[in-house]
Amino acid sequence: MLTQRTANLVFVLFLIGACSYFAWVAEGFITSGLLASSGLPSKFFPQLLLALTGGCACIVGYLYLVKGGAGDDGETVFANGAEARRGILMLGVAVACYFIWRDFGFLPMAVFLGPASLIAMGVRKPAMYLIVLAITAVVTVVFTYGLKIQLI
Amino acid sequence: MIDGSALISAFGLLMDPLTLFLLVFGIVVGLVIGILPGLGPPIAIALALPFTFYMDTVPSMVLLLGIYSAAIYGGSISAIAVGIPGTGAAIATVLDGHNMFKSGRGGEALGFSLTGSIIGGLFSAVCLMLVAPLLADLAVKFGPREYLAISVFGLIVVVRVAGKSLSKGLVMGGLGIFLTTWGLDELNGTERYTFGSYHLYEGLPLVPFLVGLFAMSEVLIGAERATRKVDFSTDSLSVKLPGFKTLLRMKDVIMRSSLIGTIIGIIPGEGAAVGAFFAYSEAKRRSKEPEKYGTGIPEGILAPETANNATVGGALVPTLTLGVPGSPAAAVLLGALLIQGLTPGPKLFSEEPDLMYAIFLGLFLINILMMFIGLLAIRFAAQLIRVPTAIIVPTVLFLSFVGIYSVSNSFFNVGVMLGAGILGYVVRKLGYSIAPLSIGFVLGPILENSLRQSLTIADGSFVEFFSTPIGLTIYLALALTILWGPVTSRLRK
Repeated sequence: MLTQRTANLVFVLFLIGACSYFAWVAEGFITSGLLASSGLPSKFFPQLLLALTGGCACIVGYLYLVKGGAGDDGETVFANGAEARRGILMLGVAVACYFIWRDFGFLPMAVFLGPASLIAMGVRKPAMYLIVLAITAVVTVVFTYGLKIQLI
Repeated sequence: MIDGSALISAFGLLMDPLTLFLLVFGIVVGLVIGILPGLGPPIAIALALPFTFYMDTVPSMVLLLGIYSAAIYGGSISAIAVGIPGTGAAIATVLDGHNMFKSGRGGEALGFSLTGSIIGGLFSAVCLMLVAPLLADLAVKFGPREYLAISVFGLIVVVRVAGKSLSKGLVMGGLGIFLTTWGLDELNGTERYTFGSYHLYEGLPLVPFLVGLFAMSEVLIGAERATRKVDFSTDSLSVKLPGFKTLLRMKDVIMRSSLIGTIIGIIPGEGAAVGAFFAYSEAKRRSKEPEKYGTGIPEGILAPETANNATVGGALVPTLTLGVPGSPAAAVLLGALLIQGLTPGPKLFSEEPDLMYAIFLGLFLINILMMFIGLLAIRFAAQLIRVPTAIIVPTVLFLSFVGIYSVSNSFFNVGVMLGAGILGYVVRKLGYSIAPLSIGFVLGPILENSLRQSLTIADGSFVEFFSTPIGLTIYLALALTILWGPVTSRLRK
């Protein structure tokens, strides 16, 4: 099972990489016209924060590298395999719903979201599927006819 | 000075039938969401935010305040009935509340929790009414250096109390502020991190970001534990309110907890959970029988429940007067004011006195109505604890999607919510707190503008930041806040 130590070290590396990339992007900010020479440059504040965030990420990384420094090194990110599977599958469902809605429309997404979520969570009772679909229908009706939002 | 005409006008606004309906509706929704373990006040308010787009300012604020107050109280019901706190603010209530429930005194425990919540809420509403205008008068004199000081103060305090690791808190705070630099630079129009998308010209939108951070991340975490079952007996769920004599006997606990809750609420970032724990430990420390705490005594419920609801009015003080949120829930409330086109800060008191008084009176009314709704609905509402997480998860996900889309018919906003949700989920799994991230995201623009303006005024000198008396006082208070704990513990040794 993935330990907090490994996961945090990977995340710290990702953060440091992201901070470096965004700091480099900030170097390319162009201010044109008379405002170009007035006050502090636009890159100042983002780069200041990226330095702070990156610096603190280094400290977090150091604490995980020094055994016991972070306090939760030995703990795992997920309690067990089943919880990890449910969480990651649910994440996949949420992302899929976004693309289904964008590319195929609201109704396919609304029909997909509830049952797919229940499958991701390992729910087998048919009644739960009916309840979730009924709630989806009620929310759709409230937004479409009550708040006059053009969902469909 | 109380503005009589504004007060009368605010009363008139509150008595509007729709406003009254939304006030009651907000209490019911807050109660329901507070009872459901995992869904706390910030999520409850975030989910309701999109609906406020279609409302006037007073009804929308009353709805959100009703949700805020009732969600904090609602958390105690599941804490008492099943020993699972509905919100972080109710963790301290579990010890005595659940023990009383198990010994067949659940109704009594619920009565103490309801009474404490109402008293704490009313006390803090009065304090808000008295303190906020005074602070607003002072804040009118604030310039960029003072705003910079107060924003730094708020952020550092949040970072310090949120989570076990200071460096992790700072990473989240820095990340939250950094994300607000995306979009056009307000001072000179430079494009920053727009990646060629016109959607990003105005930066990342606040409401989708906060809904994603709180609601979406909770959905994903909730999905992991979806199959866990909760069951309890409903035999002792009839509320038994404590008598006047009983309350009089416990007046010291009530008054002290109300005061602690309000003061802790005012300090940016401390929040309801800290207030509840502080009040509980103070009540125990000052008790003649401290060993009885945790075994199931009324004082062990009264202290945390009075304090956690007292933080509501306290948290509104810096939110309304300075635009600096006192808690994550207050940060989402601040987003609601921005949606209405209002900029929280001292000028709000002179420009929108009716609204300010409507908020004060509304909070008062909410607490009174919460007593009756609590008495009537508690038995039914407690049944909600049995609602399976497997139903809550897709419902909240669907509501988040539809709610955010409805705000501006924009898939971009839905994408931001999804991105923020994934970010929130990942960092929470890795032991980071999302409170500094949310507060940083709210405070970011104030921090950047005040820092750049301060540096311009000071001709690039950082020393000048400490040259104003108010700014210096705030920095000294910050230093005291940070150093107090370590210094006193060293002195004790």
